[in-house]
Amino acid sequence: MANFQDKFILNFITDNRWHYIWNGLLTTLQITFFAVLLGITLGFLIAIVRSTHDKTGRMKIGNVICNIYITVIRGTPVVVQLMIIYYVVFSSVDINKVIVAILAFGMNSGAYVAEIFRSGIMSVDQGQFEAGRSLGFNYRQTMIHIITPQAFKNVLPALGNEFIVLLKETSVSGYIAMQDLTKGGDIIRSRTFDAFMPLIAVAIIYLVMVMIFSKLVSMLERRLRNSDH
Amino acid sequence: MTTNGDVLIKVDDVHKVYNKKLHALNGVSNEIRKGEVVVIIGPSGSGKSTFLRSLNLLEVPTTGHIYFEGTDITSKKTDIDKHRQKMGMVFQHFNLFPHKTILDNITLAPMKLLGKSKEEAQKRGMELLRLVGLEEKANGYPSQLSGGQKQRIAIVRSLAMDPDVMLFDEPTSALDPEMVGEVLELMKKLAHDGMTMVVVTHEMGFAKEVGTRCIFMDEGQIKEEGAPEEFFDHPTEPRLQDFLSKVL
Repeated sequence: MANFQDKFILNFITDNRWHYIWNGLLTTLQITFFAVLLGITLGFLIAIVRSTHDKTGRMKIGNVICNIYITVIRGTPVVVQLMIIYYVVFSSVDINKVIVAILAFGMNSGAYVAEIFRSGIMSVDQGQFEAGRSLGFNYRQTMIHIITPQAFKNVLPALGNEFIVLLKETSVSGYIAMQDLTKGGDIIRSRTFDAFMPLIAVAIIYLVMVMIFSKLVSMLERRLRNSDH
Repeated sequence: MTTNGDVLIKVDDVHKVYNKKLHALNGVSNEIRKGEVVVIIGPSGSGKSTFLRSLNLLEVPTTGHIYFEGTDITSKKTDIDKHRQKMGMVFQHFNLFPHKTILDNITLAPMKLLGKSKEEAQKRGMELLRLVGLEEKANGYPSQLSGGQKQRIAIVRSLAMDPDVMLFDEPTSALDPEMVGEVLELMKKLAHDGMTMVVVTHEMGFAKEVGTRCIFMDEGQIKEEGAPEEFFDHPTEPRLQDFLSKVL
């Protein structure tokens, strides 16, 4: 037990090493939060274009562009995308790495969210669409008032899953020398030569965050489900 | 014909072709006048639902014209959404909005499309719910209703827009037999109050009792039409004779 205490002090207290964990956590949360917002926005827009094309045959060019985007983003690893954005796209620009990470993870997530939203929109019965149109709603109003609220409810579990993946994917931020939560633990490991404690600590923090988030999603799910008794 | 009201819907030589070969409608022309209750019958695949759905352009005709209250709604320049507000439609599978309460189902379109205030729309909504005896369900959700109740709400949802015509696409076909009556009763009441109605149905009793004109469709065409007495008692078209012998 004394051994455990010594190691704890060595890894987290000495030289204020807990700062690596704490600051890393803040960076991870910051990246995740804004990347989720970007991902939802991007994904929603792409899904609208794609499902409008599926339903009406309009927006042909938009659909082609969205398809290429989804294919490229889903076809390449996120860590490669992150490095391309930092070392290629912004190579000659002095830019905050947090913004680079938000862009990379947000754009990546957008492709997945787009397909999640689209599957949600397509899963709403065609009769709902016809009922809306027959009352006199135009395409856009039908989407806003009738289709997307039901689609959102249908895809909430998949969406929650996507954000859990996103949160954990930000752990590769170290590749562009960002000090996120994972990197923070790794730095401590390299200073103290103790792998166990910092890495387990990092793992536990991720786990707790995911558990809290899952809880929030399931609470939201239950609230939205109050219409199907 | 029993009524001589103004022409509400005029259908002029409408064809509907799917995938360049399946002729769902093969040259249909007809006029629907104010106050009429037109009942469309026919075997499955005869084009009767396609015909009904083309009246509010849920199916867009391949060729031909449809005029509603004097406007060619098949014209690309026509704002079809405006005209659909005046054409209520009731579906076989109700298509209530499951994420909204019963009252919200009814008030959504009047509030968003007619600019009614919430109080105004809800007042009218409750009146309509009382009409069908479901006012205690106002704050429930569609999933809590029986099939017959759902269809009555769907009818009321359309009525809330004060339509000039109501289109019914097999409104009782998805119902358990014991619930058919309550929906037909409501439709009868509407007809009695002078609502113009176009009804695709298999309910021959309703056609005979409530219909002012019956249309028999087969192979995408209107094969026979007439007042119910003539139509059911002295059918001339052999296909109609055959059809009636099977369903009556």
